[in-house]
Amino acid sequence: MSKDYIIEQLKKQIENFETKTQTEKVGTVLEVGDGVAKVSGLSDVMASEMLEFTPRTNADGTQNHAESIFGVALNLEEGQIGAMILGAFEGIKEGDQVKSTGKILSIPVGENMIGRVINPLGQAIDGKGEIVSDKFYPIEKIAPGVITRQSVNQPVQTGIKAIDAMIPVGRGQRELIIGDRQTGKTAIAIDAIINQKGQDMICIYVAIGQKESKIARIVAELEKKGAMEYTTIVLAGASDPAAFSFVAPYSGCALGEYFMDKGKDVLVIYDDLSKHAWAYRQISLILKRPPGREAYPGDVFYLHSRLLERSAKLNKDFGGGSITALPIIETQAGDVSAYIPTNVISITDGQIYLESDLFYKGIRPALNVGLSVSRVGSAAQTKAMKKVAGKLRLDLAQFRELEAFAQFGSDLDENTRRQIERGRRTVEILKQDQYAPMLMENQVAILYALTNGFLDDVAVEKIRIWENDFQKYMNSSAKDVLTLIAEKKELTEDVVAKLEKAIKEFKEVYQNGN
Amino acid sequence: MKITATQYAKSLYEVTREKSQNEIVVMTENFVKVLAKNRQTKLAVKIIKKFGELYNKENGIAEVEVISSRKLEADQIGQIEKFIQGKYKVSEVIINNKINESIKGGIILKIGDEILDASVERQLRELRNNLRK
Repeated sequence: MSKDYIIEQLKKQIENFETKTQTEKVGTVLEVGDGVAKVSGLSDVMASEMLEFTPRTNADGTQNHAESIFGVALNLEEGQIGAMILGAFEGIKEGDQVKSTGKILSIPVGENMIGRVINPLGQAIDGKGEIVSDKFYPIEKIAPGVITRQSVNQPVQTGIKAIDAMIPVGRGQRELIIGDRQTGKTAIAIDAIINQKGQDMICIYVAIGQKESKIARIVAELEKKGAMEYTTIVLAGASDPAAFSFVAPYSGCALGEYFMDKGKDVLVIYDDLSKHAWAYRQISLILKRPPGREAYPGDVFYLHSRLLERSAKLNKDFGGGSITALPIIETQAGDVSAYIPTNVISITDGQIYLESDLFYKGIRPALNVGLSVSRVGSAAQTKAMKKVAGKLRLDLAQFRELEAFAQFGSDLDENTRRQIERGRRTVEILKQDQYAPMLMENQVAILYALTNGFLDDVAVEKIRIWENDFQKYMNSSAKDVLTLIAEKKELTEDVVAKLEKAIKEFKEVYQNGN
Repeated sequence: MKITATQYAKSLYEVTREKSQNEIVVMTENFVKVLAKNRQTKLAVKIIKKFGELYNKENGIAEVEVISSRKLEADQIGQIEKFIQGKYKVSEVIINNKINESIKGGIILKIGDEILDASVERQLRELRNNLRK
């Protein structure tokens, strides 16, 4: 490019440059602190309108912050408004100018967000370059109405045997994952993302107030498994202002809605909503809204219900897309009757309850099958899975009832002993390693073998090795049976016959091998 | 119930409207007494400000802060007055001229919480932002 050309271009630009002068509504910062500013003026501002804190030139010619910082008007009072600041609020001083923008807070959306790590304002924070998009979605939106909806009819395969069999999740469902710290809540969510490969799902993982190191680890793991190709991570880190944590889930949901409106299926994970409630509590208290139970403001229920209500399964007339939500709640010392857990339990369509006792016993995922439920998911479960899961649930329930007698080993009658033995094997089969989700057909095969007594003669301690070898055998020598299950999604008589034949063949080979 | 500064200002304006000078003096004295009785004298500054705004609004007066890089000529002030009268439908315009050399040229008008920035500085800033793209 020649120098003259550049000058010519510049000249053209300058010649065509027009400035429009228009009146703007401005206010001034009265006080600022802890990420919240009180602003006077701005008489016509809307609730949750975006505000622009313009940089001010100091006496020495420097600016207090390089670019405009955005804020959101939350409290509209007589003579002043309370606004939360989305960004570094250290530079903002009393007397700074604030402009109203006339826009409700929105984030850019688009296909190019997939595979990226973004902040709650839709800006890239993974160092892979700016994300340019001309479409904007408001972060707060009223949830789809009754006429646009449809009941769930398609499963989300999480790849975890215990969940897919007994607590099935359907597309468009909201299933809470609840448990103490260090019980594997995030692990379940990440496994579910990994298992969506090839399932035509877009995943959005919203990290709220999480450690950046944990997110780096998750991103690395997802990349390794090829799961970043269909995943977006919305990150509000632990060091970001509380306003970011507050906005993050709504941003994630807005991005999900963009894909849902295009008829796609979306899985959104909110990790975790207890931190979200904390962030909102902080902002509310600084805004001097009256505190209620556990010092949360009066509208924490609405805070979560309006977010989770936006998950939906749309019917054919509205594109047929869906948003499945997996919110996560961290309990303190197993207390599910605290304020936030009870709220979210009542909003969601079921919960996956994780217990630290089970976790330390080595039962991982540490699922408490008795307390976990899925209120609508069974409608979406495949027929094949339904058939094996019914027996599985019965086996486990009987086992729990008799478990107390297990120590009297020899004094029990034959029937009771058999049920206890079956229960032990069931518990063993439901254990699963992290980052090792299993396909539906493999799950059906092993659960069929279990519930029909093919494992009763295998020693409990050897169950997991047996299962491992069994899956290897199925994936290689009996591949046709698996494909048949995957295609038919039903256990018809000929499928059962073929499956049983495969299991028997494997048992023969296995016994001869050992 | 708590009475706000705006409500005080409004009531004061209404009782003093179209009254003679002597009546206004009496009314104002009474108003201050009421304020003292209600232990709200700390609101006085706010009430005075609100009263001024209200008075200006009711009587069609606009107070304008004009920021320019040089002192404005008389005919320029006249033009600004006419512009404001047309835009805000007011009969009287009070112009308060401030000099700020850093805006380089043009003017900035401030009326209430509205701002009309027609300064050379802003246009240069916009040009810079545009060229950056």
